[in-house]
Amino acid sequence: MLLNVKAYHKPRSIDEAFNIWSDHKDESVLIAGGTNVALMKSHIPKHLIDLKSLGLNDVKEKGNEIVVGAMIDIESFRKNQAIRKNFGDFFFKSFDDIASPQLRNMITIGGSIAAKVGWSDVTTCLLATESRLMTFGINGYQNINITEFNRLPRDKKPIITHIILSKEDFIYGFSRFTKSAFDISLVNVGIALKIESDIVKRSRFVIGSRPQLPDRFLDVEEGIENLKFDDNLPTIARNLVFEHFTGGSNYLASVEYRRHLASVLTERILTELGGV
Amino acid sequence: MKIKLTVNKKAHEVQIDPGEMLLDVLRRLGYKSVRRSCDSASCGNCTVLLEGKPILSCITFAASVDNCSIETVEGLSEKEELHPIQEAILETGGSQCGYCISGLTLTIKSFLAENPDPDDEEIKKALVGNLCRCTGYESQIKAVKLAAKKLRGEKR
Repeated sequence: MLLNVKAYHKPRSIDEAFNIWSDHKDESVLIAGGTNVALMKSHIPKHLIDLKSLGLNDVKEKGNEIVVGAMIDIESFRKNQAIRKNFGDFFFKSFDDIASPQLRNMITIGGSIAAKVGWSDVTTCLLATESRLMTFGINGYQNINITEFNRLPRDKKPIITHIILSKEDFIYGFSRFTKSAFDISLVNVGIALKIESDIVKRSRFVIGSRPQLPDRFLDVEEGIENLKFDDNLPTIARNLVFEHFTGGSNYLASVEYRRHLASVLTERILTELGGV
Repeated sequence: MKIKLTVNKKAHEVQIDPGEMLLDVLRRLGYKSVRRSCDSASCGNCTVLLEGKPILSCITFAASVDNCSIETVEGLSEKEELHPIQEAILETGGSQCGYCISGLTLTIKSFLAENPDPDDEEIKKALVGNLCRCTGYESQIKAVKLAAKKLRGEKR
């Protein structure tokens, strides 16, 4: 129980939510899935603002985009027909490994991004698909990318209302390494490839839990551009990741261990994607 | 603040603290099958079904489930007859000290509703959020398989 909470707000509109949040900035917390907030054990929050009351949990196909309400839970998202139709097993399988069925029914996609945690498998996968965010803040609605959102200072952080995924002709892969099935990732890797006539035309390599926030590795992407997607590509990419990996050490793993893990996971994903 | 809850098809109106967790409210209402253990979203003992889906009541704000429907183990057995899942757990030795069984039973119920004929790997994945320190999970995997058979109307 959060002892000092005085009010649990259930706003009916995004404006109302933002106004309550702005009025009590230092004493309020936004609740998406609620799993982080409930574990805070903090005496600071006096106002809890529940965003689930906004009904932002639908998935709509709009032309070349899929617009996803930020409050959709991980389990509903990964099983959604429109998501499966456009991304195959990428999200379905990648998110199946996150935490437990109970937590996947609670954790929201928007909350996973907003929490800005380095080990977020959700953020890594969404960066691999180059998803964008619709946010609501002091300047109203804005369409920004996840990296821009991550760089915003806490006091200027807007509320994420939707995630926008593009339908594109890429293939995707994801892998993570954890100490136990229930644990957070020591390293996670998401890869997207656009292949034309067996040649890599475009790619995205995202590595998370370094332990810093997930980010793209442009040196690796440039390194494999226009290479043939054959048996050699996984090894080339593995070596590039090893060479260009940047990260750090913490109580979970050293930077050297993470570098090795990231390069091996990269090789495995590409091997699987290529059916090598 | 006051919230309305339906627990095992019974309506409740209850006064809660705005920062209170569902686990505390359910136990206060007398649903003592909902167990407090880790209190940190790790063990699954506090699992209940919210609108049919398993969630952890120790990290669910009670205020967030106003006007929602909750199911606990008390709602499973009818006229003192055990539910097929409970029977299966008993018959396979899936329950030893019994502390984790309430949460486990509800996780199995939701899982089998979605996947009535699971294999071992699927069962292991489904039970990953329910820790048991007694059984080593082997008997619980057998329990899920037996429960699935019973629910499909097959004999052993």
